[in-house]
Amino acid sequence: MIKIESSPDEIYDIELEHSLLEANNELAKKNRALLDKHAITAIDFMGAIGSGKTTLITRLVEKLKDRMGVAVFNGDATTSSDADTIAGYGVPVVQIATINGCHLDANVVGKACAKVDLGKIKLIFIENIGNLICPAEFPLGSRARVVVVSVTEGPYMVRKHPHMFLGAQLVVINKVELAEIMDVSVEELIRDVHTLKPDLQVIPTSCKTGQGLDEIVKAVLAVK
Amino acid sequence: MHELSIASSIVESVLEFAESPPPKKVLKVILQIGELTCVESEQLGFCYTAIIKETPIEDSVVEIEKIEAEVVCSHCDYLGPPKYWDEAIAGMRIATLQCPQCGKTTEATKGHECTIRTIRYVEQ
Repeated sequence: MIKIESSPDEIYDIELEHSLLEANNELAKKNRALLDKHAITAIDFMGAIGSGKTTLITRLVEKLKDRMGVAVFNGDATTSSDADTIAGYGVPVVQIATINGCHLDANVVGKACAKVDLGKIKLIFIENIGNLICPAEFPLGSRARVVVVSVTEGPYMVRKHPHMFLGAQLVVINKVELAEIMDVSVEELIRDVHTLKPDLQVIPTSCKTGQGLDEIVKAVLAVK
Repeated sequence: MHELSIASSIVESVLEFAESPPPKKVLKVILQIGELTCVESEQLGFCYTAIIKETPIEDSVVEIEKIEAEVVCSHCDYLGPPKYWDEAIAGMRIATLQCPQCGKTTEATKGHECTIRTIRYVEQ
C-alpha cells in the first residue's frame, strides 16, 4: 500500500513495494500454466558458453524423440548453427535470437510456445544463452532448471557462480572424460555444489563416451 | 548486463510517477536488493545514472539498501541467517542454502528482493 509522509521542508516519501522482476515472473507463471494445460514439462538448461549445452540436449533428443513429442527452444545470441544441428533430428526447434540479450526471458519463451504445436509435445528443452549469471534472475516457466558446467571451465566454476546453483534442480558436470587432463577434481565440484545446496542432484557426464546420459534421461523423466 | 534492463524498468516506473499530476521533482530513489540476487549494486547505480540523462528525473540519485538473506528449514524448523561459505573465494562470503543447524537444504525467505522501496520527491 502507499503511504505518504510529509516532512517540514515539504519533501515527500512515497513507499512502494514495486518488484522490478515482477513483469517477468508473471509471464513465467503464464507460460507454466499454458504448458501445464497441455501436460508439457519444460526444462531450462543454463551454463557457460562452451559448457556443452547444445550437445547434451542433442543427445537427450536422440534418446527421447521416439518415446514422446520433444521440442527444443534454442537461445542463441546471433547464429542459428545450434538450432540447425538439433533440427536435423526432425524435432520442432525454435531459435530464439536475443541479439544482444544475455539471457532468455519469459516473454520470448512465451512467443516460442506459440510457434509449436503444443498438442503434439510432452517435453520442451530450453537452451538458455551461454551465461552463468543473468539467467538466474529470469525464470521462464520451466518445471526444472538444469545447470551444465564442464571440467574444462576450471575447478572454481561452482563457487564463482553460486546463484545459478541455488536456483537449480539438477546439475550436470560435463566432459568428465577430460577431468584428468584438465587436472580438475569432479568430486570437489560435486562437494562445492552440495555446500551450496545439499540435496541438489549432480550427474557427472560425458557426451563423448555416453557416461551419465541415461541417468539424466531418468532425472528428466522424473521431473514433476 | 541484466542490470541495464532492471535499471530501465526502474526509470520507467519513476518517470511514470514523476510525470503524473501534480508535477514533482524526484530527489532520490531507494531500492532494496537482496543478497541472493545476482544484481550488482554498483552497476545498477551506474546504469540508472546513464539512462536518466535528459529526462525529467535527471537530477535524482539512486540509493541501494542491501537485504540480507534469511532461510527456513523444513527439516529442523530453523529460521534465521543462512550458513555462509567463508573461504569460497578470497574476500567473498557466499550465502548457501545449507541449514546452519542440521545441514540439510533450506528455503530462502528473504534475499531475493529487487524492488523500488521509496521515491523521495518535492512538489513543484
